Parts: sequence; C-alpha cells; structure tokens
Amino acid sequence: MRFSLAWSSLRRHGTRTLLATLGVAVAAAMLLDMVMMSTGLRESFRELLTSRGFQLRIAPKGTLPFDTDATIENTSAIVATLRANPNITTVSAVLGGTIHIPIGNRVVTSAALGIDPKVQGDYELISGRDPLGPNDIAGNDDFLKATGAKMGDTLDVASGYDPQLRTYAGSRKLVVTGRVRFIYGAANQLATAMQLATLQEMGGSDRKDDASLFMIKARNDSEVEGLRTWIWRNVPGVSVISTESALVEVDQRLSYFRQLALILGSVSLFVGFLLVTTLMTVSVNERISEITVMRALGVSRAHVVQQIVLEGVFITIGGAIAGLGLGLVTARYLNSILSSFPGLPVAIDFFLFQPRAAWMSLGLLSLSGIAAGVYPSYRAASLPIATTLRQEAIA
Amino acid sequence: MLIRLLSALLLLQQPAHRTIAIDERLAEDAHIAIGDKLVVSAKPGATSGDTVIVSAIVKRGADPAEIARSEYQVRMHLDQLQQVVAYGDRVDRFAIATRGDSATERALRDINASAFGFQAHRSRDIAVGTSRTFQVVSRFHKAIGVITIVASAIFLLCIMLLKVEERRRDVAALRLMGISRATVVKGIVAEAALLALIGCALGVGVGWIASQFINWFYQGVYRTPLYFSVITTPIVTLAVGLSLVLGIGAGLLASLRLVRTPPLKLFGR
Amino acid sequence: MNVVEAKDLARDYEFGAERVHALRGVTFEISEGDYVAIVGPSGCGKSTLLNLLGAIDQPTHGSVSIRGNPVAGMSDRKTTEFRLRNIGFVFQRFYLMPTLTARENVELPMSEAGLGKAERGDRARELLKYVKLGHREKHRPSELSGGEQQRVAIARALANKPAILLADEPTGELDARTGAEIIALFGQLNTDGTTIIVVTHDEELANAARRKIHMRDGLIVDG
Repeated sequence: MRFSLAWSSLRRHGTRTLLATLGVAVAAAMLLDMVMMSTGLRESFRELLTSRGFQLRIAPKGTLPFDTDATIENTSAIVATLRANPNITTVSAVLGGTIHIPIGNRVVTSAALGIDPKVQGDYELISGRDPLGPNDIAGNDDFLKATGAKMGDTLDVASGYDPQLRTYAGSRKLVVTGRVRFIYGAANQLATAMQLATLQEMGGSDRKDDASLFMIKARNDSEVEGLRTWIWRNVPGVSVISTESALVEVDQRLSYFRQLALILGSVSLFVGFLLVTTLMTVSVNERISEITVMRALGVSRAHVVQQIVLEGVFITIGGAIAGLGLGLVTARYLNSILSSFPGLPVAIDFFLFQPRAAWMSLGLLSLSGIAAGVYPSYRAASLPIATTLRQEAIA
Repeated sequence: MLIRLLSALLLLQQPAHRTIAIDERLAEDAHIAIGDKLVVSAKPGATSGDTVIVSAIVKRGADPAEIARSEYQVRMHLDQLQQVVAYGDRVDRFAIATRGDSATERALRDINASAFGFQAHRSRDIAVGTSRTFQVVSRFHKAIGVITIVASAIFLLCIMLLKVEERRRDVAALRLMGISRATVVKGIVAEAALLALIGCALGVGVGWIASQFINWFYQGVYRTPLYFSVITTPIVTLAVGLSLVLGIGAGLLASLRLVRTPPLKLFGR
Repeated sequence: MNVVEAKDLARDYEFGAERVHALRGVTFEISEGDYVAIVGPSGCGKSTLLNLLGAIDQPTHGSVSIRGNPVAGMSDRKTTEFRLRNIGFVFQRFYLMPTLTARENVELPMSEAGLGKAERGDRARELLKYVKLGHREKHRPSELSGGEQQRVAIARALANKPAILLADEPTGELDARTGAEIIALFGQLNTDGTTIIVVTHDEELANAARRKIHMRDGLIVDG
C-alpha cells in the first residue's frame, strides 16, 4: 500500500516529478563520470602496461621510459645478465629514435623503435610480417599514409639530419614488410619498427650498443619485487620500474584529474541530494494535513516516513538509471577531449566504465535519496495531530 | 721567496672550477647550498665527471609545461655543457631580442631566407604550438563548465517550480481578489531576480575563495609560482549574466505556469 | 458497559504569554452502543474534548479510558496503535487521500493493521456497499461529491471495527440534503451497534443523537 501511495503521489505532480528526475539524472551522470575518471586512468594504464605480460621495465637512471633522450649503454651485456636469471622468462630491449624519409621535395619524419621481433611487446601485427631481417621495416597506418608506402616498397631511411648542411646521416634502404599497430602509440603519431641492431647502426658509433628501455617478463608475479631488487644490484646506472611503481608515478602526474573528480563528484552528489530534499520538503509541506490525518487514523510515524522516503527513492533510482545512459554518453565526449593530449597512448582511456563504479554511483545516490526524505517526513510525522489539523483547517 | 714562487705556480696550475646555477627545487630536495661542489655528467648513474661550484640558486618560472614533471633545472656555461654532453659546437636554438616589431619582422625574413637551414619563429607562435596540452585541458574545463551550466539550469527550474507552487494558495487568493496575471508574474519574477542577484553575489564570493584555495593548494603541490585559477572581469560578467538570465527565466516560467491555472483549481477545488 | 470514561479532563494551550484553558475538568461516561452529540458555542472546547477522546491529543491533567484502557500518558507508538484498532475518526473536511481510489482509501487503515490484500479488499468493498458506494470504489475523491467523500471517510473510519466512532462536524461542509443522508447513515450505524460520538453545530445531527452533552467555556453544563 505504501508503494502504491508513494507512486500515486509522484504521478499527481507529473511535471515536478519529471523535472526532479531529470535533475537527479544529470547529477547521477556527473557522479558516474567522476567516479569513472577517478579510477579510469589508473586502470586503463594498468591494462596497457600489463597487456603484453611484461611486469618490469628498465630505463636510464632517474628517468621513465622514453621520458628523455637518455639511453643505456652495453645492451648486449645487460641482456646476457638478465637472461641468466632463471626467474626471467623474456627480455626485450628497445631503442627509440627518429628517422627521416625524403620523398620528393618533402621529408617525412617518424618515430622509430629498434626491437627484437621475437620477444617484442610494442606492437601488434595487422598484416604482412614482422621486420625479421636487418633491412626490414614495419610501419603504422599513419606512417604508411604519410609516405604512401605499400608492402614491399623500398624506402631511403636516415636517422640523423643536419639542418645547417641539410644532409642526412645513417642512411639505409629498408623494405616495408608489415603493417602494425603500436600499443603505446599516441594518436596521429607516425611510428615504425625495425631490428634493434639496424637502428643502433644507423645511430652511428654513439649508439652502437645502446637501448632506451628493457621490458622484462618474470616467471611468476610473486617474484617481481624480488627481481626488481636483483636487477638494481646487478645492473648499475638504471631505474627499475614495476607496474605498480609506474602507476604511482602516473597517479602523481595526473593527480589533478583525481582531485577534480573528487570535487565534482561530491558537488554532484550534494546537488542531487539538495534537489531531492527540496522536492521532498515542498511535497511534505503541501501534504501536512494528509500526513496528519494518516497519523490520526493510526498509521505509525515510521510508516509515514517510509512512504515519503519511498517517493524520494523512486525519483533517485529513476534519475540514476537515466543518468547511467547520460553519463556514458558524456564520458565518451569528455574522453574524446582528453584523449587528444599530445604524446598520450591512444589506448589510454580517462573514463573507463567499470560495473563497480556504476554500482557505487547508484548506491551513493540511493543513499542520498533516502537521506533526503527522512528529515522532512520525520518532522511532518512528528507534528502534534490535533494542533496541526486545527491549523490546517484555519489555513 | 722560492717557496712562495713555487706555491704561486702550483696554484696557477690547478684548474679553477666552473660555476653553475641550480633551481630552488633541486637545492631544497638535495640540500645543496651556494658554494657547494658538485660533479656533473651526461651519463645517468656516473660517478665521475666535471666538478662545478654552485654559485646561484634560481627561482623557477611560472611555466605550465613544468607542472607534474619532477624535473630539476641546472644552468651551465654554454661551452661547458657542450663539452659535458659531447654536443660539439652546436646549440638547439638561439633566442633573439630585437628592437621592436618592425625589426622582428625584418630579422625573421632575413634569417629564413638564409641558405643555412635555419628556421626562425616568433616566440608567441612557439608558445601556441607547444600549448596543445593546455588547450586540451582548457577544452575539458569548458566541457565541464557547459555540463555544469546545463545541470544548474535544470536544478534551478525544478527548485523554482517547487517554491512557486508552494505559494499557489496565495496566488489563488490574489487572483480571486482581482489582481491581474501580469502583476502576479511581475511580483514573482522580481523575487526571482532578487534571489538571483543575492545568489550571484554569494557565488562570486565563494568562487573567489575557492580560487584562492586552488592556487594556494596547487602551488604547494607542484612547487610552482604559476596561477592555476584566475578570476577575470569577463568571467565574473559571464557568470553573473548567466545566473541572472537562468534565475529570472526559471522564475518567469514557473510563474507563467501558475497563473495559467484557474484560481479555484489552485485552491484544490 | 462503559466504552468511554473521562475523569476531570483538562487541556490548556499556550499562545505566546497567554494560557488558554480549553477544557477545565470534564467528567462523563459513554456506554457501549451509545450515540452522543457534544454541542455548544464556538470555542467551548468540544473539538478539544473529541481530540482527547480520540487520543490525538494529550490532556494537561485528568484521565480518559477507552474500553478500560487509559489512553493518556501512553507513548506515541502505543497511542498510534491504539487509535488504529479502537478508534474511527471522521473529519469535517473528509481528508481522503487524493491519489487513492475510494476502495484504497478504505483499505488504508487495514493495510496498516496488517491485513492481507484479499481480506482488506473484500472488507473495503463490503463497507463501501454498506455506505451505498459500492459502485464507486474505483473513483478518486476528486470524482466524488462532498457527500460521497464523507461516506467514504465513514467507511474508512469503520475499517478496523473500532470501539468508538468519533466525528468532528461531519456535516459541516455539506449541504442540507447531503447532510441529512449522513445523519441517516449515522443513525443506521448506531442501530447496527456502533458507539458514536459527534461534535456538531448542526441541530438536526444533534437531535438525531440519543444523548446530548452541552458544553460552555470548557465545562459540561448539561448531559
């Protein structure tokens, strides 16, 4: 009976109920978006880092992978040392650089990764084959489009450019063998992959045995921290970064978004609560005589409160469900804005939908809907019956 | 006399250490003071290199590109840095000051026309070109702002509707007394305008306080003199204007809805 | 057997600094099956007395018992429960729930008392037939006339088979013809065994009762 009374009370003022539900929907959407944003980036980054199964990364000391142009020397010796550890199953050395491809009277500049195709964790092959030979090169769609190259084409590739003399250094002819998608690639970034030794040679004597990064797979996840310590002791002059420590660094750099999420999420929740409270208060004030008569008839205070709180819960849940759809749409829009951060891997999402986030938002809103109805209804249900009826009759 | 001469000769032969300037963040974190000797090297983790003396500690500029990066800055003599990083006789760029705008245009033309592969840019063009990160953040803030305004409009309309409906019996009594619809609407809109004005004043105050807090907080977190939030006259004008329009609009819509209902129905008969 | 016993019942109200003695010590009994009209000029305390008998107000001093149960001084929960099961209230302004149908209005107290859906539905229909509104069970109050609304209110008051039916100016909002129908209904109810206490200015209603209690200035002057 309380259920149908609450429902019919809401239907009685359709416009008001609809507007309030819409208001709650907007608050719910914002709340959902902020909850998604507070955890989305971290979880998205974690998914990206662990997507190929590498748990550790080694970068030049004091830097993060590809944060600077610094490189690590004596790559071969380091690889040998690492491979000697039985708890390490895979070592992938990567060298980062820039290559230039003169085409007619223009030059296409692209990022280049020197890798070992057998163990690499930087790209997925879409078509063709990996750059298995010393004169092979694979490129992403942006690179192939910019150069107009097709599978099997030969390109003149240089690694150094002297702007004063307008000459190229480290030139080599490479054959396009594959079309790839770089996992850590930014949007619209031209990128290529070739054999590590090829890029090292093109870099001249300066980069003969250099790498920018090592990626490591441990036999078991439980051994990761132990391996980290072992590498730190046995490979000098490097920083060893686990997935967790990388996430901490990301958290620190992008803490602004988490804080913004917290503030906006709290404000949304508060405003939604305020809206439902106002609606409940006005609704209760309009129905003081009805409520008092119910009390006179013998309906307990608790049941009166329940009935009114139910109205608030209906509005809140209706708004939350509508807000879920709205929130996903706005999250997509906001994500498209933030994804255009220069240098950010295109696979990173700021707003990651997690069912846990949706339930949390719904739960928070429902609680606020309940809380919003409790005080005004309790106050109304506690009014002295005889005096109130008399005052209402006079009014 | 001979000993003095020999001592002087020895001193002359010892290499004098070059000086560097470090930023205040590095000085604070590594507990470095002026006069301290440091070893600089281009190789990460190296234990040997050039010995230098810290001669100055420099304040960091309000550069937004440095936020969220925990980098330190060191200023060295050009030739020493070229030697430390094995750069040879090369630089990454020249910064040029000119004698006014027309001189800037002439310098740009002359440099770009030279045969040696230089490209000259105006400083502000570079600033725009390297500001993509902040453009993204700015777009994001604008999007959040638009969503907030839309949400606020809905909330305002809803609450105004509720509060105006709360007084429907008063309105019914006025209408039955012969007060015209227009007079009733004007009265309610005037109230809404007053509330909107008071709300604007409060909102600007709260916004100003929040802005002060944001700057204090983030300047501390990122250790920068950069201002993260700035309240300008156009911003205040936009906020006040929009709030007034929304507040008065909501009051108008709510009151029009009320006066369209027959008075007896408003009484519940 | 006495259904109602009131002893030295008094009720004072504070209006700012002023203290108003609405009831100044009223003592009376009402037997099972009685039909009593409480009459008197405005402000004499008749509605105050009814409120005290109906346990929707608490006396300043004195006592009132319904079927031997003292109702003064009970906790709010106990009083509410007591009202639900023992007292039926009919108001001048009907006070039906506007969003519920006639049948649902009658079911409301039964739902609170914990009766099952089928049982309360049947009883509600039975009560509506008794008050001659069986054909209007699906109508909302806005679709009923004043007299029909009051009859629904009477049916609602009878929902949990109360010990007494209290009515405060039940014909106050009705025209003479409709009022007469309500008066007749009260007569019928009393004939069928319901103990009724009405507060009224309506002479016809007062004359229809079997006993009149006259009040003036917070005291019973006759009856």
